[in-house]
Amino acid sequence: MEIQGYNMPDELYYEQNHFWVRQEGDEVVMGMDDFAQKMAGEIVYVQLPGEGKAVKQGAKFAKMESGKWLGKVYAPVSGELTAVNEALETNPELINEDCYGKGWLFKIKPEDLSELNNLIHGKEAVEKWVLADIEKYAQEK
Amino acid sequence: MEAKYDFIKKYREQVLQCSRCGFCQAVCPVFGATLRPAYNARGKMLVLKEVMDGKIDLNDELIDTLFQCTTCANCFKNCPSGVNVPEIIKQVRKDMVHIGSCHPAFTGMNDVLKKYTNIYAEDEAEDFGRKKNQTAEYVFFIGCVGAYREEESTQATLELLDFTKIDYTLIDEVCCSGVLEDIGFTINAAHVQTNIDRILSTGAGTVITGCPYCYRTFINRPQYKPLLDKGIKILHISQFLKDFDFGVTTDKRVTYHDPCDLGRHCEIYDEPRQTITKIAPNFVEMPHSRVDALCCGAGGGVRGAFAKNSIAMARRRLVEAEEIGAEIVLTECNSCVHNLANAKLRKQPFQIYTTTQLIRKLMKEKGSLKN
Amino acid sequence: MDAKIKQALIDIVGEQNFTDNLIDLVSYSYDASEYKHRPICGVWPHTAEQISEILKLANREKTSVVPRGAGTGLTGMAVPTKGGIILDLNRMNKIQKISIEDRLVVVEPGVVYADLEKALAVYGFLFPPDPASGKVSTLGGNVATNAGGVKGAKYGTTRDYVLGLQVVLPDGRIMRTGSKTMKSVSGYDLTKLFVGSEGTLGVVSEITLKINPKTTASSTSLATFNHVEDAGHAVSQIMYSGILPSVLEILGREVIRAINQNTDLALPEVEVILLAETDGYTKTETDFQMQKVIDVFHKNNAIEVKQAQTAEEAADLWKARKSAYAVLARLKPTLVLEDVTVPMSKIADLLNGIKEISKKHNIMIATYGHAGDGNLHPQLMYDGYDPIQAKSQEAASADLFQLAIRLGGTLTGEHGIGLQKAAFMTLEHDPVAMDVMRSIKKLLDPHNILNPGKMALEE
Repeated sequence: MEIQGYNMPDELYYEQNHFWVRQEGDEVVMGMDDFAQKMAGEIVYVQLPGEGKAVKQGAKFAKMESGKWLGKVYAPVSGELTAVNEALETNPELINEDCYGKGWLFKIKPEDLSELNNLIHGKEAVEKWVLADIEKYAQEK
Repeated sequence: MEAKYDFIKKYREQVLQCSRCGFCQAVCPVFGATLRPAYNARGKMLVLKEVMDGKIDLNDELIDTLFQCTTCANCFKNCPSGVNVPEIIKQVRKDMVHIGSCHPAFTGMNDVLKKYTNIYAEDEAEDFGRKKNQTAEYVFFIGCVGAYREEESTQATLELLDFTKIDYTLIDEVCCSGVLEDIGFTINAAHVQTNIDRILSTGAGTVITGCPYCYRTFINRPQYKPLLDKGIKILHISQFLKDFDFGVTTDKRVTYHDPCDLGRHCEIYDEPRQTITKIAPNFVEMPHSRVDALCCGAGGGVRGAFAKNSIAMARRRLVEAEEIGAEIVLTECNSCVHNLANAKLRKQPFQIYTTTQLIRKLMKEKGSLKN
Repeated sequence: MDAKIKQALIDIVGEQNFTDNLIDLVSYSYDASEYKHRPICGVWPHTAEQISEILKLANREKTSVVPRGAGTGLTGMAVPTKGGIILDLNRMNKIQKISIEDRLVVVEPGVVYADLEKALAVYGFLFPPDPASGKVSTLGGNVATNAGGVKGAKYGTTRDYVLGLQVVLPDGRIMRTGSKTMKSVSGYDLTKLFVGSEGTLGVVSEITLKINPKTTASSTSLATFNHVEDAGHAVSQIMYSGILPSVLEILGREVIRAINQNTDLALPEVEVILLAETDGYTKTETDFQMQKVIDVFHKNNAIEVKQAQTAEEAADLWKARKSAYAVLARLKPTLVLEDVTVPMSKIADLLNGIKEISKKHNIMIATYGHAGDGNLHPQLMYDGYDPIQAKSQEAASADLFQLAIRLGGTLTGEHGIGLQKAAFMTLEHDPVAMDVMRSIKKLLDPHNILNPGKMALEE
């Protein structure tokens, strides 16, 4: 759905730091959501850790930068990194162009898929969360 | 006729001296990464010539070239006519800002420093677990990049300083703010005073900086003269470390990237190498080193304002490291290490560290550093 | 600019390869000469097909197109005097193939000379012509001007090494010239027509070059003379010595003085310095050759002859020649570098004639150059913003060209005609030759859209 100009697809699960997740077979794919990519501006660098790295839900495991901002990537589920989007090495702006498609970040083999229940999901919950963040950031400015 | 802009008053002859030979294209990092002659030193001088001739006027359309220069001075070093392009550009930027024409990233930087203690608008200073503002013989001045972007490198330096057992203290430092003079604004007097006061109250006789740019600011900017007048010595960490023996070596193939701010601008080429060749006997130079070193692309505010091109420049620099089969690339500047690390491709087999990071790593492996 | 043309160009090369930004238009108005004129836009093509579409469009719309490499040409051949589109070829910069067994390399026009040099050095090979601008100039530009360099005395110029080209004609047709063999006499030698044609007959989109193995030994010597005639005779007599030096450079008195006043090289205050190099594969061989050169120096009243014993000493001897341009470039606000070439037996006459012209027009002229092939570079230095001095320079250059022609020489050895010498073409070429050149131009470029206004091709 669209919330005040931000595109937040209904079927995805969202980590509170604005990373989306969707299931793909027995893995999950994650990326940055439209709200965050618009806030960040043009992404110029994404740290791509090695495959096999262990990640924990809610813990940061990589860095990203736009011209003005240094951000951290938080794992939406615990598990093992199975793939990174290598295209981002030379074209990090794919995240801005197509954050749910070509701009995907990482693939993770989850330890426990039920962890998805800890994430924000469903129209109502997502709308509430995004509106709250829109206000929070407006105030910070 | 009164010159319309200060850059014309100060540098008219130099701008005219440019004979358009184009040799600067061989060494300009921005041209090398973009192949756009408008960005090259010659392209900038041609624009300024047309301003001087009254054909065009300083305006927003010129921002893209006049504010996109790392001030690495490689052009100046290679210019047969001796045109000091970086100095001219710095003055032009002041003229541009004066008429209200500036890159938003730089206006932003100036605004940020009015409100914050650092260029990143971070609220909290990183706590390296060491006392600040003590009375001591040395002050270690970290610099914004080391404090907020390259904490690991700073941590390593502090551990080495602990190891040397010198009597040093950190201070509640604020941005040296020298960068503002390069991007069209004026050094932040309040920040300068804060730094001077805090350094002086430690009673220290020497300030060691982790950042070559802070080093240049302290020794060159007249606003920091009160420090020099009090006889305080300013050293970059590489000048300080060269006298110490850390008792570690590696047989890896190591190379060194001369930061523009330390090398070409300050002619500090040997001290870093003294330390490095002690720990890495298998040291090898890149094809362009010392005064010819290729700029990493981060300087002059370019990493903040033109990040994509900045990283492209760093990527170009790393090609040379790959060519010589380096396993480790060392440098002495946190801005360089940040940009180079961002630019490194996964398939490139080398690691990028500051010298202190490597020494610390080796000492930890040997067990000679307490945790 | 015309929105239709702009869109058509964007359709061909893509938006990111088109520019009508002010800063680009300003850069593209200039090369390394004193001429300037704004184009309407610039494009960065990546393929011959794109160049072809652009030229077809230009013909349809009667818009001029000017091809450009590094823009280091000294005579204005890349300056868009009729506006139009700048075809910036720098992004076509791949070395397509290096074949040592076939003794050739295939490059795109935007390859920088120094990058080719580096790539070939890995194999112990080189592309012999070595233009002074080699650190920045591109092979496309080298081909357009038939670039020379200090090794020209022994190794010739670019033209001697171009085996074949891919060219996009002004009407957009793409063709190949020459062959990938070491020699061929099949059909007219179109390759030689395009080399040195200064971007007026076609846009070179691919170049096949013959390459040489690098020599591994060299000897260097420096000789000083009190009389121009002695140095001149020495140059001619080296032709009788039985060997060809790889380098034979000359520095005139004004250059020597300028170097001494502005550096701490402390050269001897003499009339002329000759710098010679011989090359080969063993020091014995190159020293043997150098001895013949040194004998000639002595026989012609050289005051002092120094031969380098080590690589450092050789580098020292070269310093004066290498610093000439940079020293002279700082002396006055404006410089014009001429390129007149005469038979080697006339070098002394040329040097003396230049001195007289300098006196006559009260303008500083310092001369250095490639004595080994008669190609001197008188450098005129003045304040171009002073209209009187500007007029003196024009008159002095005109006299220089007259002098060179009178001595049986040519207007330009390696820099080309462009705009700078266009008015003097008829001084050197007879009316029939001019007519044939203009006919060829008309044949290949009936609408005169490719780099118009250069080389006196328009009547």
